[in-house]
Amino acid sequence: MTQSARKGVGARLRRKEDERFLRGRGDYVGNIRMVGMLDVAFVRSPVAHARIRAVRKSPGLESVVFTIDDLTGVKPIVANSALKGFKSAPQHVLARDKVRQVGELIAMCVAPSRAEAEDIATQVELDLEELPAVVDMVAAIEPGGPRVHEEWSDNVVLETLVDDDLSTIRANAAIKVQRRIRTARQCMSPMEGRGVVAHYDRRLDQLTVHSAAQMPHINRAGLSECLGIDQGRIRVVAPDVGGGFGYKGILLPEEVCLGWLAMMLGRPVRWLEDRFEQLAANANCREHYYDITGYATADGRLLAIDCEAIVDSGAYSSYPFSACLEAAQVSSILPGPYRMDGYRCRTWSAATNKPPILPYRGVARTGVCFALELVVDAIARAAGKEPYEVRLACLVPPEAMPFVNITKKFFDSGDYPEALRRAVRVLDLPKWRERQKRGEPDGRRVGVGLAIFCEQGAHGTSVYHGWGIPMVPGHEQCTARLSPDGVLELRIGAHSHGQGLETTLAQVAHEILGVDPDNVRLIHGDTALTPYSTGTWGSRCMVMSGGAVATACKEIEKRVRAIAGKLMEVAGDDLVLEAGRVRVAGTDRSMSLAEVAHVWYRAPQLLPADVDPAGLETTAGYKAVRDSGTFSYACHACAVAVDTELGTIEILDYVVVEDGGTLVNPMIVDGQVFGGTAQGIGTALYEEMPFDAQGQPLASTLADYMLPGATEVPTIRIEHIETPSPLSYFGQKGIGEGGAIAPPAAITNAVNDALADLGVEMLESPITPRRLLTALAAARARRGAG
Amino acid sequence: MTLSLSVNGTPVEAQVEPRTSLADALREHLMLTGTNVGCEHGVCGACTVLIDGAPARSCITLAVACDGADVRTIEGLDEDPVATALREAFAAEHALQCGYCTPGMLVTARDIVLRLPDAGEPRVREELAGNLCRCTGYVGIVRAILRVLAERKTAG
Repeated sequence: MTQSARKGVGARLRRKEDERFLRGRGDYVGNIRMVGMLDVAFVRSPVAHARIRAVRKSPGLESVVFTIDDLTGVKPIVANSALKGFKSAPQHVLARDKVRQVGELIAMCVAPSRAEAEDIATQVELDLEELPAVVDMVAAIEPGGPRVHEEWSDNVVLETLVDDDLSTIRANAAIKVQRRIRTARQCMSPMEGRGVVAHYDRRLDQLTVHSAAQMPHINRAGLSECLGIDQGRIRVVAPDVGGGFGYKGILLPEEVCLGWLAMMLGRPVRWLEDRFEQLAANANCREHYYDITGYATADGRLLAIDCEAIVDSGAYSSYPFSACLEAAQVSSILPGPYRMDGYRCRTWSAATNKPPILPYRGVARTGVCFALELVVDAIARAAGKEPYEVRLACLVPPEAMPFVNITKKFFDSGDYPEALRRAVRVLDLPKWRERQKRGEPDGRRVGVGLAIFCEQGAHGTSVYHGWGIPMVPGHEQCTARLSPDGVLELRIGAHSHGQGLETTLAQVAHEILGVDPDNVRLIHGDTALTPYSTGTWGSRCMVMSGGAVATACKEIEKRVRAIAGKLMEVAGDDLVLEAGRVRVAGTDRSMSLAEVAHVWYRAPQLLPADVDPAGLETTAGYKAVRDSGTFSYACHACAVAVDTELGTIEILDYVVVEDGGTLVNPMIVDGQVFGGTAQGIGTALYEEMPFDAQGQPLASTLADYMLPGATEVPTIRIEHIETPSPLSYFGQKGIGEGGAIAPPAAITNAVNDALADLGVEMLESPITPRRLLTALAAARARRGAG
Repeated sequence: MTLSLSVNGTPVEAQVEPRTSLADALREHLMLTGTNVGCEHGVCGACTVLIDGAPARSCITLAVACDGADVRTIEGLDEDPVATALREAFAAEHALQCGYCTPGMLVTARDIVLRLPDAGEPRVREELAGNLCRCTGYVGIVRAILRVLAERKTAG
């Protein structure tokens, strides 16, 4: 057990993957070199909405420029939901007849280098009849305007309604606050862009697509559907992936195009997304609008939420998550961690002439938490209470766990009020209230803000089958093999893009088998080498892949015990597996795992005739006790200083108290929380992908699209509560996304706290200096007029 | 054009077009793929290498401008004592996740350690402003650099 405490579940083990990355030996898709490889550049739409009259290839370039007419047999990407009323928008991998967003692919150009391919792209002539663009999601769903898809009756992809009768609450609530709240469109911006290298293996009659992908098995299924070839003829390999965050959880039209091209040319082809393509063509998440009303008692206890929400879904439905997942999710998660008596929520997924939306770290939760927590603070102000007091009055208490909330979510475990109380204590609220009273010597205004949320992770079949989208998670599998030299190979279908699964899953294996994590190899990211998986999304890997690895290792343990028991002439149950050895309990008689494996593979003559023939390799499946998901949760608390002259905001302190259940590797968990929180700070204060009235994206470089740097992110202080989930193998909960959920709400609440007596209340993210100064000027004008 | 320069201490020649960036020359012509390209307009710092000892953006440096220069990439820092100390500290402080910004981050971090032995946290953060990381929130990176600065002070 001492060994386990050091290297197994719960150990702050250094990462196995660091060595190669620290020496520049990570192998990303852009590092793949193949003989005869050609580069691809795309001709993309310069306008948001147009009818294509013609695409003309310059004479002499016909054999290196391809349009949709050339891609015979290639089917459009279809990501439908079975929810009633969902409108389908098949996406041709190269535009046919119309373009519906700036950056939509029109033609594919191929040359020995990217520079030459781009030269060719400039010689493709587009004849486009520009149409009015649908840009604003609120205007988009009004009747009578231009339509993104002419064959549709309107621009509504899907409308959902949860409709409790709130009339009694409305009539009796002492406090009613209504707010219109918006979050900006964002780009997830992993440091590595997307990229594809495709080649065709004639011997295997197989297309291999290397792609910076989070969900290689899903991409394989999608490629098969679009290219019309069976899945066995497609291998998708995701090598080292330089950050995902949801951005790489998609079947790309570029993947389909390159797959077709590699088969057509019989040569390897490569496309690497540049940052301009990423920002201008693929901006893709977070754009929400809420018209939300909170009802509360006179002392601020939340009674009900009534909300109408719109999510800007863009022009097409992304595969596999679809154009409606996010808005529909809003209605199921808006109540957050609170108890309430009534709830009504109507949502629209709006089609616009912008890039399709994708679920970004936290998915709808960041917007939902922003809307709900701003309203809860407004209720606190109306009730004359501290924001934490009104929250304590309605958070689900630990004694009610497990708890089924108003939208039938099953909160598995935890102490939500304790997370809040501890965050308030660690931040030292009285200190900041005192400082606020005193005032800052430099004239800035100090404010304190809170936000609390719970995050459903690793949710499975029962949650997803209802969406009816192209992907429903089932059992997660792991293939484990104890090799002849005692090294344990683990194969999983999910993938890692920074999460450190090579380390944490080795810790899981160590916990069960006692094998040293250094002697565990994780093989993942390759459909030819791994069991099927829906991949890495939804904070699911540590629960699902971790559970699968544990289950497979348990089976290997059983077989090791059987073989070693025979060899040492004891019962298998009398053996202890630790420190890479199999020992007879209570003795110093032992043999190493390598010796057991050696006998099985290379000296089978030593085995008795009745040995279990299954050997030291197995594939095992795992599903949680119930698949409604683990619920991690966290309270974020921060103090900010607001400069009302410059409109700038400085974060003075930032505290996160979170419960990820059993932490498999606390160092890696902290890293996920730090990184997520930094992204949330970006959402709160900096990151925005604006569009003009014609649907042109206005941030096309990282000088315009502001990612937070080391000077913008403070040292974040984290405290853990560890309430093991009753649903998962070790009690672990999915936490990968959580950090990115609460910062916009916590920071905006702090800003509003700082500016409350000026009559300023910020309701839109990010709070840029311009937005803040505009709000301050408007408040001054109101005060002057009053 | 024929480009002659020293890369990681070895004289090399490459045939490049005048428009070829140093990053592309290193990655595509010299097969040194440790230098990652992030934004291709000099903002993110992923492609940072040393040119004549000073950190520079290889994505917006033309290869032909480096004729005769001494270029050092992450591959050339394997034996460097400061880089070695930084690698140890980066691993201990979990200063990397996906690893994509890491080579450029190490080149900048090494420069900070050598140039600013007395730097405290605010100065380290300021100096890192030209290197973006999307995974770590910079917490581990800042700690790792401060750790190496402290170790070098103790060691005198």
